[in-house]
Amino acid sequence: MQIFLDRLFDGISNGAIYAALALALVMVYRATGTINFAQGEMALFTTYLAWGLTTKHIPVAVCLLAATAAGFVLGAASERFLVRPIEKRSLLATLIVLLGLFSVLNASDGLIWGKGNQSMASLFPNKLSSYVSVFGARLYWANIGVWLLVAAVVAGMFAVFNGTRLGLHMRATANNRESAALTGIPVGRILMLGWGISAAIGAIAGVLFTPLTPDSLGLGEMFPLLIYASAAALFGGLDSPGGAVIAGLIIGIIEVMLPAYVPVIGGQLQEAIAFAAIVLVLLLRPQGLFGTREVERV
Amino acid sequence: MSLLEVTNLHAGYGPAEVLHGISLTVDAAEVVVVLGANGAGKTTTMRAIAGLIGRRGQVTVAGQSLPPGAPDAAVAAGLSLVPQGRGTFSKLTVEENLQVGAARRRDRAGIRTDIDRWYDVFPALASRTSQAAGTLSGGEQQMLAVARALMSRPTLLLCDEPSLGLAPLVVRSVFEILRQINADEGMAMLIVEQNAELALNLATRAYLLEVGEVVTSGAAATLRDSDAVRRAYLGY
Repeated sequence: MQIFLDRLFDGISNGAIYAALALALVMVYRATGTINFAQGEMALFTTYLAWGLTTKHIPVAVCLLAATAAGFVLGAASERFLVRPIEKRSLLATLIVLLGLFSVLNASDGLIWGKGNQSMASLFPNKLSSYVSVFGARLYWANIGVWLLVAAVVAGMFAVFNGTRLGLHMRATANNRESAALTGIPVGRILMLGWGISAAIGAIAGVLFTPLTPDSLGLGEMFPLLIYASAAALFGGLDSPGGAVIAGLIIGIIEVMLPAYVPVIGGQLQEAIAFAAIVLVLLLRPQGLFGTREVERV
Repeated sequence: MSLLEVTNLHAGYGPAEVLHGISLTVDAAEVVVVLGANGAGKTTTMRAIAGLIGRRGQVTVAGQSLPPGAPDAAVAAGLSLVPQGRGTFSKLTVEENLQVGAARRRDRAGIRTDIDRWYDVFPALASRTSQAAGTLSGGEQQMLAVARALMSRPTLLLCDEPSLGLAPLVVRSVFEILRQINADEGMAMLIVEQNAELALNLATRAYLLEVGEVVTSGAAATLRDSDAVRRAYLGY
């Protein structure tokens, strides 16, 4: 029971991070119709930025805010200056450009911050003794902090999507860009905003995730996360923010539980689980758990 | 000065030019119809005027020149297009579709009044306010598309083939409503239509397009009696 709970807590924390990144992927997909392959690297770049600031003894909360703002600018600028000029040509060209952005960002990280792995200070108390006991299992404050902050981000996004004019205009633009333009919605600004917000969410996810494991900030940190988050986004339905969040949590928990209780899988096959999930979803239910199949009368 | 003045309009897709210098005008409170066979450039004309595609040539609304490729500027100038194929937001509810139609307006109370008003005019929509627009029938979607376009309170409504894919009875009621709105509001309309008979009945003037050029124009009644139009579009 105790070990099960320990694992569950870890699974939920990872799942919350996957959920946040998956939400970011879904936002871009709804705006532009592509998976943003550079989503993870955008998050890594901003996490490095935050880490660089923490080494200057700036409070972590301030570093988080700075990284979030930088993420917003990075995302919005990518849409405006890279994606928008290219996407008219073809979807494939857009994907290639995003792959290019992926490697440029990763190389920049290495150039600016070096190749060695770093440990990052946590926003929450993360000493070995900062936990509450739950049926003998240790629930660390760092975990609770991650859950609450991700929950707040997700709740905030849903409030914006479903409760504001801006959110309505974003949904309209995602649904039918041309009709949105015809109603006078400034579609370009809405797309930039969508990319900006999604990169900002990624920045928050990076700054929350990295301190959970010592020495985890490195050039290869975000790629597995992108795979898990893509699996979650697909699993939940690429156009469904709610689905992405639920699927992110499910994948986080499965990823911890499956190797623990199915010995064959072990530590090495963990990422294969995510790939298997992607393949299975594409085969059995292409629209995902909560995605919409295009049903439309003409 | 006319409400809409289009002068020497050239537009197309990529290297293929579809419109080779079209000029037309719409006066305030007037209904003008653009006739033409498939491929004559009717839809391209509408899309170029509304700013969805690039163009050369002058488009002015109430004397104010519209920049090319800027649909939001066209809406701001009082123009609203009901696109071909309706273009409803399929995943948004009927009510949300109408709210989006008022994207550039800030008068909350006025928007509410207008939504209720169009619910009165289109009762089929009133009973489906929270239904996703994609689940409506073709006729209902056309009504929604018209209502959404009207939500910006345009001075000029552009309609691209409002009869496309609709049953004859539904087409008749759509045109009846357009006639009513024109009479009540004095709203000017530029309508592209395959169904020449219906369109000419509604319109005061008409333009006939052939391969990207205006070949004939004049009073609707005159065109209805012209042999060329009769043979090509009325079938008798």
